[in-house]
Amino acid sequence: MTHLDIATVWAMTLDHPLFSVALTLIAFQLALALYRRSGWLVLQPVMVGMLLVVGTLYLCGMDYASYRDSASMIAVLVGPATVALAIPLYRHLRRIQQLFWPILVTLVIGGVLSVVLTLVISGALGADLSVLMSLSPKAATMPIAMLVAEQIGGLASLAAVFVMLTGVIGTAMGPFLLRLAGVDHPAARGLSYGINAHAIGTARALEEGDECGAFAALGMSLLGILIALFLPLAFG
Amino acid sequence: MILKGLTWLVLLQLLGSVVNLLLVPALPGPIIGMVLLFGLLLVRRGIPESLEKTAALLLQYLPLLLIVPAAGIMTSGDALLADLPAIAAGLVLSLLITVPFCGWLMQVLIRRMDRRQEDKA
Repeated sequence: MTHLDIATVWAMTLDHPLFSVALTLIAFQLALALYRRSGWLVLQPVMVGMLLVVGTLYLCGMDYASYRDSASMIAVLVGPATVALAIPLYRHLRRIQQLFWPILVTLVIGGVLSVVLTLVISGALGADLSVLMSLSPKAATMPIAMLVAEQIGGLASLAAVFVMLTGVIGTAMGPFLLRLAGVDHPAARGLSYGINAHAIGTARALEEGDECGAFAALGMSLLGILIALFLPLAFG
Repeated sequence: MILKGLTWLVLLQLLGSVVNLLLVPALPGPIIGMVLLFGLLLVRRGIPESLEKTAALLLQYLPLLLIVPAAGIMTSGDALLADLPAIAAGLVLSLLITVPFCGWLMQVLIRRMDRRQEDKA
């Protein structure tokens, strides 16, 4: 004999802090399974998982602020994970030393060009300032782009979406564009994948070969650092 | 092992936010923490096993951690939809130029460096 009706129990379950944690864990595992089974780079686990979470929150009538509060025990680890990005960067040290100047020149010119072009084109077409500030770190890996966007007056969640779009579009167009420009050196192809399409491009570069993949990972982590250090100083 | 590595990462992030509050307000704490860790690794000339394991674990599950902040799009979806044509044009057109340009520039620079080394030899 219970003195609580189903609706009250349901409301109390939604209120339980572990509801948001369970929702995030389940959404991620479903998204990961879908990504692995399909093999499609477009179905990025963050994107699909995020859509599952947002869809469920809408269905349950829960707002984002209460979800974020109770899921904070997952999100708090983003900080230490960002610090840990120094480790893959350190692993590339030898390669950086070998081709230091070509890498640095390409990263700086390519990075500046990518930020400036995006801002000029979207700005000319009338995008809002907060949208522009969320677009500018799009070439960095997601945790960095989200931190930087917030720092310079953009929105972390918008930045996350732009990072994913950049990765997917850049990887889809990459092979064709690189062939068109006559780029066949694996290090050059890899670096371009890493600079323009970060993690998703790196996955594609690994399919082309080891050297290509290593330079993509290198381009991705170095550009992430450059964006993290210089965008806030430029716009902050 | 994992806990030891995690402790280091958390301490470095905290140190990063102290530096952020006191010295460089423009850079977010975790990013300063990452630079500090990179500096430490350079000084130590190697990656401690505990850090290596923790980092592998955290980075493997990075997409899971990022779902929480990414779901914030719920509250900013309007801004995204309102500017969609400008955003799409900015993303696609800039990629059309930078993807071939970065590859081309790196290739030219590598070949020039190779030629110089051959000249020296």
